[in-house]
Amino acid sequence: MTFEDIYKTYWQKIFRLCMGFMNDKDLAQDLAQETFIIVWQQLPKFRNEASIGTWIFRIASNICLRQIENEKRIIRVDLPMNLMEEKQSIFEPQIQYLYKCIAKLPETDRIIISLELEGIKQVEIASIVGLSEVNIRVRIYRIKEKLTQKFKLYGQQY
Amino acid sequence: MDNNIDFKDLWAKQTISPFNTNDLFSKLNRLKRTSLRKLIIANVLLIATCVFIMFIWYYYQPKLITTKIGIVVCILAMVIYLFAYNQFFPLLKTIDYKQSNIEYLQDLISIKTKQHFLQSTMLRLYFIMLSSGLCLYLYEYSLMMPTFWAILSYTVTLAWIGYNWFYIRPKIIKKQQIKIDDLISKFENVKRQLQDE
Repeated sequence: MTFEDIYKTYWQKIFRLCMGFMNDKDLAQDLAQETFIIVWQQLPKFRNEASIGTWIFRIASNICLRQIENEKRIIRVDLPMNLMEEKQSIFEPQIQYLYKCIAKLPETDRIIISLELEGIKQVEIASIVGLSEVNIRVRIYRIKEKLTQKFKLYGQQY
Repeated sequence: MDNNIDFKDLWAKQTISPFNTNDLFSKLNRLKRTSLRKLIIANVLLIATCVFIMFIWYYYQPKLITTKIGIVVCILAMVIYLFAYNQFFPLLKTIDYKQSNIEYLQDLISIKTKQHFLQSTMLRLYFIMLSSGLCLYLYEYSLMMPTFWAILSYTVTLAWIGYNWFYIRPKIIKKQQIKIDDLISKFENVKRQLQDE
């Protein structure tokens, strides 16, 4: 697989993972790009020990976690008001609400649920995060329960 | 709203920023340049200072052993600082992004702990060596001066050293430690999320 192929295949998935973590389009794009910079640098060393997907998701989720270091910078980012409005109008309220709920979860839960919603197998999620498969299954169940409850409340409100 | 919400479907409906390869590669080049520039500036400055001190030794031919020891201690201080500083950069670069999240967090924590040590201990060592080297170096030249000037030059030098030791150094260390301590605790918090079961 060439870098171009990887970029085309995984860009959307990685972008959504970063978006689940940050809930901010510009920052998600920055993180996704950073992921592909590392992928580009490391690709010659990739030796098929893991599937390429697991490999890329590990890099992306670690970059998201590393982002904690720059949190202060994030808060300072000021977006022009009209840009914010334009962004909000693109999103359907439900999608927006889902990403908002996910972004409020603890950091590692954000990664786990994002990978699950991306359709990654639970064995793979376990290997990306470094927990057992059972543990991952339990966590996913709990996170989904939380999300469902929040959506029920949301449904009552609107 | 339906009770069985299809989160996967909602998730996938998210609009995606289009990918742009040119943007990506320009970013890559910029990153490479800035980290390299920082490393070069620190090295060049300190090496230039060492060369300058060596030049003084060669040109003025000091007679006393104290002067020579002073010069060696000053140079050693800078070399040790440089060594520590240069060691830290590869540490950050070699961090393995391909590890699982839990291993990666552990790595981040240990790197930050090392940085903590390097910054406080190395800075202290650097200041002590540089100050004592300077005092020793000054001795030979103060012997050649009238007493008043000798006392004055030592007073000024010691005052300068004192200012650096008691004001500048704690300020630098405090600023760095607050930032690093905060980061370490954040990373540890995240790691704990994975361990609490």
